Amino acid sequence: MKILVPVKRVVDYNVKVRVKSDGSGIETAGVKMSMNPFDEIAVEEAVRLKEKGVATEIVAVSMGVTQCSETIRTALAMGADRGILVESDVELQPLAVAKLLKVIADKEQPKLIILGKQAIDDDMSATGQMLAAFLGWPQGTFASKVLIEGDKITVTREVDGGLETVELSLPAIVTTDLRLNEPRYASLPNIMKARKKPIENLKPADLGVDPAPRLTVLKVNEPPKRQAGKKVASVAELVDKLRNEAKVI
Amino acid sequence: MDFQPDTEQQMLIDLVRRFVREEIIPLEAKLDPDASELAPEDHARLVEKTKAMGLFGIDIPPQYGGPDIDIVTRTLLAIEMAQHRAGLYAPCYGTFGGAGLAQIFEANEDQKERYLYPTLRGEKKAFFGLTEPSGGSDPARAIQTRAERRDNGWVLNGSKIFISGADRAQYGIVFARTDAAKGRAGITCFILDAGTPGFYVRRVVHTLRSSSYATELEFKDCWVSDRQVLGEVNKGFAVANDRLTRQRIPYAAGCIGVAIAAHEMAVEWAKLRSTFGDKLANRQAVQWMLVDNEIDIRSARYFTLEAAEKARRGLPFRTEAALAKLIASEGGGRVVDRAMQIHGGMGMTKDLPLERWFREMRIRRVGEGPSEVQRMVVAREILGSSLR
Ligand SMILES: Cc1cc2nc3c(=O)[nH]c(=O)nc-3n(C[C@H](O)[C@H](O)[C@H](O)COP(=O)(O)OP(=O)(O)OC[C@H]3O[C@@H](n4cnc5c(N)ncnc54)[C@H](O)[C@@H]3O)c2cc1C
Repeated sequence: MKILVPVKRVVDYNVKVRVKSDGSGIETAGVKMSMNPFDEIAVEEAVRLKEKGVATEIVAVSMGVTQCSETIRTALAMGADRGILVESDVELQPLAVAKLLKVIADKEQPKLIILGKQAIDDDMSATGQMLAAFLGWPQGTFASKVLIEGDKITVTREVDGGLETVELSLPAIVTTDLRLNEPRYASLPNIMKARKKPIENLKPADLGVDPAPRLTVLKVNEPPKRQAGKKVASVAELVDKLRNEAKVI
Repeated sequence: MDFQPDTEQQMLIDLVRRFVREEIIPLEAKLDPDASELAPEDHARLVEKTKAMGLFGIDIPPQYGGPDIDIVTRTLLAIEMAQHRAGLYAPCYGTFGGAGLAQIFEANEDQKERYLYPTLRGEKKAFFGLTEPSGGSDPARAIQTRAERRDNGWVLNGSKIFISGADRAQYGIVFARTDAAKGRAGITCFILDAGTPGFYVRRVVHTLRSSSYATELEFKDCWVSDRQVLGEVNKGFAVANDRLTRQRIPYAAGCIGVAIAAHEMAVEWAKLRSTFGDKLANRQAVQWMLVDNEIDIRSARYFTLEAAEKARRGLPFRTEAALAKLIASEGGGRVVDRAMQIHGGMGMTKDLPLERWFREMRIRRVGEGPSEVQRMVVAREILGSSLR
């Protein structure tokens, strides 16, 4: 069984994100970039399925600037077998990514596509769902547990107030939640092995997709600064302020 | 020349950086601010992880089971491993393993079985006994401990000072004079087991490192057999001269790692803290301190990687290693000092790692050869051997 794992290059989760002074986006120049943490969980899950003998091949796909090949290398060092880079200077929005992935899936014929439930940069949580629609495949999103038996996959989903378990037939789409697994550290031998694994280079035009953005970002703002606290003299005053000023009770 | 890490080196750097952030720093937050050891169960758990990463035994040569990476990559990783509170003297609390004494790799097969391999397996710890009360910068002249021939062996008499960890080691190496007339060519290196009759750890010497201390040793008619001679008689200094030079590179790397960590703290704090109605980051006085930090860090990094690169290519690197050690320890001290200044009162507290780095960094200008001796090494290179 072949598994396709799309991986996104995002600002590292440790970086304090700063808004560009003109409000057109966030500062990425000279900022450390890494694999989206949810995608790491996706790669880890695929690697575990391969170790269990369920999967036979893992293909990591990344889309965007040339340096996305580094993100693919990270996936290869974790245990993916080969990579596909779709290089584009145009900003790729979820719709374009889903369209591109659809063409790759048609070509690669994976039984399973595991994506992160969202990317930590724009928090859209859209690509997996759109891809499922394009392919006409069932989807198990926000997975905290995945079990494959024969042609069926059971996905435990984290929903408000509990867990929902769904059974899908393969081929299917799974998107990962935080608690699905704890990604392993890469290792020196695997990092060295990754050097020899192939990465195929494509352009959106090779896949017959027009990647032009369909959404326009009007403005990016810093979150509002926290207001300074106030001291109250008595419980009565506190209750009054909570009721009439903060309007929370 | 370009010292930018390649893709694989960058992945290894990221790997170690993540390990420090996610495994070491959270555990460290719960330890005493001066601690140099993890709880045994935490240590064992993390060693499992570094073994799975294939990076255990980071300073052990590949032919002895260490990871198969060159000295430049090792240096880049050593810079990462030092970026936490205990990082200068206990990088990652030893969870990447240690080779122990560099000199013991020069041992013969019998000695390797008895000392090197148990050390690499983590079963034995060693001390390095060179410095004496009469001086450490120029041990060839200063060493007064004598070893005299008796019964297929040698009898040691004399003393040592500032010897780290001798009270907790299973063995150590001790340099003693075997030919009084010959100066530098009259020193022999001996391997000494703890508990050998006539060998005493006389007292603990407290230093700027509050969780750790040095010791003072005494040898009183202490007999060791010929099997304990490391290398050849009267060639104690030939033992691992290259290794002594090589050791200056990770020593410099540790200073750079701590300097980077201190600088990052200073940059963040300058952007947050306001005085007199404006951020510290907007004051030129503070900006220049940060720029000076940047200069110290970048030059130390450049010099150290140059030394490592020469060593990797098998070229002479004595001068480069001396410069690296000198610049990284002196610059590192300045960076930590400026970071403390920018932090104000907070910088003096044990709530932050700065004061520990400040104390420990100070030792680095004396340990492994004082700055003046490193300068002397370079001066000899510039002015030629006629100076000797
Ligand atoms: C915490 C700690 C741990 C240590 N651990 C060990 C250990 O495990 N094993 C061990 O063998 N030693 C150890 N040492 C000793 C250390 O290596 C010596 O302190 C160091 O080599 C300097 O020797 P010294 O103290 O005798 O100073 P000296 O040799 O007396 O020199 C004093 C000062 O004179 C100056 N100086 C020296 N030579 C010159 C010159 N040619 N030109 C101009 N100025 C000069 C320098 O400023 C130097 O600092 C340790 C020291 C400390 C502080």
